[in-house]
Amino acid sequence: MKRTLPQSVALYSGLLLVFLIIGMPFWWVVSGSVKLPREIIARVPTMFPQSFTTQHFEKLFQSTDFPAYLVNSIGVALFSTIVTVALALPAAYAFFRMRFPGRNALYRLILLAYAFPTIVVLIPIYGLFAKVGLIDTRTSLVIVNIAFALPFSIWMMRSFLSTVPKEIEEAAIIDGAPARVILLRIMAPLIAPGIASVAIFTFIASWTEYLFASVLIVSDARRTVPVGFAGIIGQYQIDWGLLLAGATAATIPVVILFAFVGRWFVSGLTEGAVK
Amino acid sequence: MTNPRLAFLFVTPALLFLAAVLGWPLLEAVVLSFQNVGVIGTTGSWVGFDNYAKVIGSAGFWNSFGRSALWVVANAVVQTFMALGVALLLNQKFPGVRIARTWIILTWIVPTVVVVIIWRWLLSTSGGMINPLLIQLGLIERPVGFFATRESAMATLVMINSWRWFPFTALMMLAGLTRIPGDLYEAARIDGASAMKRFTRITWPLLQPTLLVLGIVGTLLSFNVFDVIWLLTAGGPSQATQTLPVLIYETAFKGYKLSEAATISVLTSILLMAFALLATRAMTASEEAR
Repeated sequence: MKRTLPQSVALYSGLLLVFLIIGMPFWWVVSGSVKLPREIIARVPTMFPQSFTTQHFEKLFQSTDFPAYLVNSIGVALFSTIVTVALALPAAYAFFRMRFPGRNALYRLILLAYAFPTIVVLIPIYGLFAKVGLIDTRTSLVIVNIAFALPFSIWMMRSFLSTVPKEIEEAAIIDGAPARVILLRIMAPLIAPGIASVAIFTFIASWTEYLFASVLIVSDARRTVPVGFAGIIGQYQIDWGLLLAGATAATIPVVILFAFVGRWFVSGLTEGAVK
Repeated sequence: MTNPRLAFLFVTPALLFLAAVLGWPLLEAVVLSFQNVGVIGTTGSWVGFDNYAKVIGSAGFWNSFGRSALWVVANAVVQTFMALGVALLLNQKFPGVRIARTWIILTWIVPTVVVVIIWRWLLSTSGGMINPLLIQLGLIERPVGFFATRESAMATLVMINSWRWFPFTALMMLAGLTRIPGDLYEAARIDGASAMKRFTRITWPLLQPTLLVLGIVGTLLSFNVFDVIWLLTAGGPSQATQTLPVLIYETAFKGYKLSEAATISVLTSILLMAFALLATRAMTASEEAR
């Protein structure tokens, strides 16, 4: 079907508007991070940097704990992702294919986890972790992140499993392959986009988690980016250059990750939603 | 595949994990709400329903409840409009549509603290971007403090949170749109239906199931938003943006009334679950009616 001229104009101006709404704030922050301080607070803001400096990034990486936050965040997010996938894949397969008593009730119970405000469990988790000595450890964040990502991950993987034609699985069953082999050798490769989606979701959720990281971590050196960076906001006389550099640096890792696997994630998100 | 033992082997690790990290603490929260624990780590004694009577009888709880309701509704309205527009655009064919569909979600994948910095900077009264621009355009004379008054603080927070979430909502709606068969539009076009008619007669009604699901999920998601509010206004000015999650946090970690915070948590959970249950039931009913 062909678009008329007015329709094309409407489409492209709409797209431009969305592009500006999402892109401009990022552009202003990223371009601001390389401006000299006096240009940053100039009365008339500049669209493109008239000056160039790396002083804000130097300060960020040399005189704040930002590098440590970055390392902590990446570590926490990676471990959370790996364990979540390892737990969600077999669980999703069992909920999807296997028969066992209480299957539907358990599945519904898991999804119910989303009806609770996460802050509800914050206080008891603090008490629980204090008892077993997990306060102020990055492990505590990994544990919490996994728990919050698991229900969604199981749900998403299950909807991906349901896209695999039944014949493929049946052939393997007839060949006498055990469930573990079917899952890892046959199903897992077929739902690679689903696994990728779950992995990205968990990584991003862990990367952005603030509430628990702010309460469970006490020492500065163990903080993740969201909490450590939020601390920098209050620590100094508002130094916009430093904050803009920090915002840029905290954005780059997820943008790089997304450049490689973003397509899978979005298709997973939308396909999963249809089921 | 009828071996339950094997099935349990597959689900048990995940279930144990959830039971230990979510289930058990939830029960603890309930226990805590019947005690009088103050500072974290101390012990308390049983007080029965005292905390519940206190919370339900306090104006602070109901004020925060009202703010949370306003917050959820305002976010739903703003995000639905923005997201629907974007979903309709992304449902068209144009060069670069795949790139657009992927990167639209950029605002959602960056940490909240980045969103906070972005908007604190753009809306800043000293320097910033929005204020100088508005002054240049002659719309205002002096910089506006977007977080300064009660009403503008709430409205600004809703806009910022919507900016963060509308792309996610748009992708969910896009999923619903792609499910509408193209033949319907083709037939309507042959019958000479206008674009407006095609939207009101085909797109809108067939999108209802998607919108309902999004309404439920979105309500729970935006209800839970804490960090954007906390980092931008900390519930202020004078509690104007103190939603229930903020109130729980403040009660527990600033007011050192752990049991009271647990009580508010339990009441909040009951309200949310009641909502989720009623909404799901309404949805199933409307599906069966069709």
